[in-house]
Amino acid sequence: MTGSWRLALLAPALVVLAIAAAQVILAMPAFGHPLSQYGATVDALVPMLRNVSNMVAAVNFDIRSIDTLGEESMLICAVTATVVLLRGHRGEGMTECAGRLPGRVWLERSDATVLMCRLAATTLFLYGVNVVLHGTVTPGGGFQGGAIAASSFVLIYLGEGYSTWRDVLHSETLAAVEGFGGFVFAMAAMVPLAFGYAAAQNVLPLGTWKDLYSGGLMVIVNAAVGVAVIGSFGVLLMEFMEETRAPKPGDEDDEDQEEGA
Amino acid sequence: MNWLVGIALLTSALSGLLVVTSRIPRRQIYAMGANGVALALLFFVLQAPDVAYSEIAVGTVIVPLLFLITLAAVAVNRARP
Repeated sequence: MTGSWRLALLAPALVVLAIAAAQVILAMPAFGHPLSQYGATVDALVPMLRNVSNMVAAVNFDIRSIDTLGEESMLICAVTATVVLLRGHRGEGMTECAGRLPGRVWLERSDATVLMCRLAATTLFLYGVNVVLHGTVTPGGGFQGGAIAASSFVLIYLGEGYSTWRDVLHSETLAAVEGFGGFVFAMAAMVPLAFGYAAAQNVLPLGTWKDLYSGGLMVIVNAAVGVAVIGSFGVLLMEFMEETRAPKPGDEDDEDQEEGA
Repeated sequence: MNWLVGIALLTSALSGLLVVTSRIPRRQIYAMGANGVALALLFFVLQAPDVAYSEIAVGTVIVPLLFLITLAAVAVNRARP
C-alpha cells in the first residue's frame, strides 16, 4: 500500500474519530462537577456504618472487597510471571558483585551518600508502614504504604552496594511475605463464609471512629494488602536487579555462549 | 484554587510532552519520572491524596527504576565478550 492510499484511508478515519470524540467531550460533566451519586452515598453512610474516616479504604477493603481480592491476585500473578520469565533464563545462583560495563570509571560512594541513604531508607520504610497502619483513618492504605515501604529497598542498593543488598534482602523471605499477605486476604474473605456470612463480610467489632483500630475486618485486609505489596515489589525489584549482576560460571547465559562458540 | 489546578495541568502536559519528544531512552526515563511528580501534584491539588501517593511511589520510583535497570541489563549483556 502506498503512502497516498494510507493518507486517503486516514482522512475518513480521523473525521469519524473527531465526531465521536467531540460527542463524548460535550457530554462530559463540567470540570470539578460535584460528586457522583455513588460517592455521595458512600460519604454520607459509611462513617456511621463502618466507623472509618477514609472512604477510599472503605470502598476498597469493605464495600468492594472482592474486587480488591481479584486485583491483589492479579498483582501476585504478574509478579510470579515476571519471576518465572526472568529466573527461568538466568538461574537462581548468586554472585558477589554487580555487573559492570568494561571501561566505565568506578567511583567510590561518598560518605554523604551512604549516610543519607541509611537515614532515608529507614525513615521511608517506617513512613510506609505508618501509612499502611493508618489506612482506615488518613489517606493512603495498604497499596500506597506498601509501595512506599518497598521503595526504601532501592535506597539500600544505592547506599550499600550490590553485595550488601543481596545479604539484606532474601528473595525467599520476600516471596514468603508476599504469599502470606495474599493468604491472609483470601482468608479474610473466606472465613466469614465458613460461619454463614457473606464473603468478606465485616464481622469484627468496628472500633472507634478516627482511631487506629477502626473498621473491623478492614484493618486486617488493609494490613494484608500492605504486607503483600511490600513482598511483591521487593521480589520484583530483586529479580530485575539480578539481570544486571556479573555472570557466574554455570549460569545459563554462559552455557549458551559456549555452545555458540 | 483554580489557578493552582491550571498550573498543575499545564506542568503535567508539558512534562508529558518532554517524555514523547526526548529521543535518548535514558533521558526519556528521567522525563517520565518528572511527569510522575507533575501528575502526583495534579492529583493532590484535585484532592486525591491516595492516588498521589501511588503515583509518586509507582510512577516516579518503581517504574522508571525498572526501565533504568532494563537499559543497564541490555548494556551489560551487550558488552559481554
